[in-house]
Amino acid sequence: MTESTGGEKSSWDVPTGRRTDEWSECLTLIAENQDRAAFTRFFRHFAPLIKAFALSGSTMSQMHADELVQEVMLKTWQKAKAFNPEKAAASTWVYTIARNCRTDMFRRLQKFDTPLAAEDFTPETDSEEPFSILQSKRSSDKIRELMAGLPTDQAQILAKVYMEGKSHAEAAAELDLPLGTVKSRVRLAIQKLQIQIERQ
Amino acid sequence: MTKFHPELHLLTEYAAGDLPLAQSACVSAHMHYCDQCRRAVGQLQDLGGVLLEQLNPEPVGDAMLDAVLARLDEEPPLMYAQTEEVAVSRTPAILRRLMSGDFSDLSWKKVSKALSISYLKTGDSGYEFALYHIKAGGRIPDHDHRGSEMTLILQGGFSDANGSYHVGDFIYRETDDTHAPTALQSEDCICLAVLDAPLKFTGWKHRWMNPFLRLQAG
Repeated sequence: MTESTGGEKSSWDVPTGRRTDEWSECLTLIAENQDRAAFTRFFRHFAPLIKAFALSGSTMSQMHADELVQEVMLKTWQKAKAFNPEKAAASTWVYTIARNCRTDMFRRLQKFDTPLAAEDFTPETDSEEPFSILQSKRSSDKIRELMAGLPTDQAQILAKVYMEGKSHAEAAAELDLPLGTVKSRVRLAIQKLQIQIERQ
Repeated sequence: MTKFHPELHLLTEYAAGDLPLAQSACVSAHMHYCDQCRRAVGQLQDLGGVLLEQLNPEPVGDAMLDAVLARLDEEPPLMYAQTEEVAVSRTPAILRRLMSGDFSDLSWKKVSKALSISYLKTGDSGYEFALYHIKAGGRIPDHDHRGSEMTLILQGGFSDANGSYHVGDFIYRETDDTHAPTALQSEDCICLAVLDAPLKFTGWKHRWMNPFLRLQAG
């Protein structure tokens, strides 16, 4: 294990491990009470972000972007029960839904004949993996904090890879950079954000 | 515990949804066996969430909110109900979705005494997605790759000049590597191979095999 758990207790070692931020609470209210007011708050915050996500990199039309926003928001309502505030940040959860919906939409538009939905690519987990819960709870907050210190060229590549959905090779072609440069910027950014890739 | 993993760039592209369908399926199948990569991808997805939060919001009108509110009572599609009951099996879920039944129920094409291949249909026309069955101790002839090759071991194991590989191990080769894997003596080996161009066997004795190994993508 590359990560020591000592010394940083105060910032993240909450006994229950439960997230208490506004958006996780909204999702819990939606899941438990079908709370439409909570959903409306959630929508007003996330729908404009999903729309920005849909339009970044912009191969998607306004019409499809609007369709994507509706689809993602409807899914957050339908799947709210599957959200586990002890396991992930609300933003991570919404991001994976948006990413999957976008992938499915592109495959639909390209008339892919596949039995697989983007959701099927998430591996199932049997165990509770307590260590990973702590890791992931902390990781969102830490990444958010460290993001401010990221050099522009690294942040730009991450935006291309994540928000625009470009592969490293596509990002390299678009920015007219060698593939190796793109890869090393991604690697440096991941290091700076202290994302841990354990290897034995 | 798996020893060979997708490198950081593949995991990042996977987490960001950038990989072609067939390759994404192979990385997903590796994570069935690998806690380390699941945890890494969890954090790489956290990064996606943070980047999403930091976008400049695009205005969304109340009409759309109303349209979504009006649809909240729709029956959700069936797929959301079934996630709970999935029993965790030895075979990665993504492969079970692509196979009807078990390995033994698939149709296998015999390519040599040691090697049989079963092609699975993913819908991704850019890649061949196939299961290789290598008899215990059997050797796959020398071959090189016109494109990239991802391999994931599902049963048994094999070794080549670079080392030996066991269940869950993931190997990614780029163009122009030649290698000749041999299945371990103890049991038959089944692995998933995802190729973006046809394999070409380099030994003259095996040249006749090539017609059997045309790219069968899709």
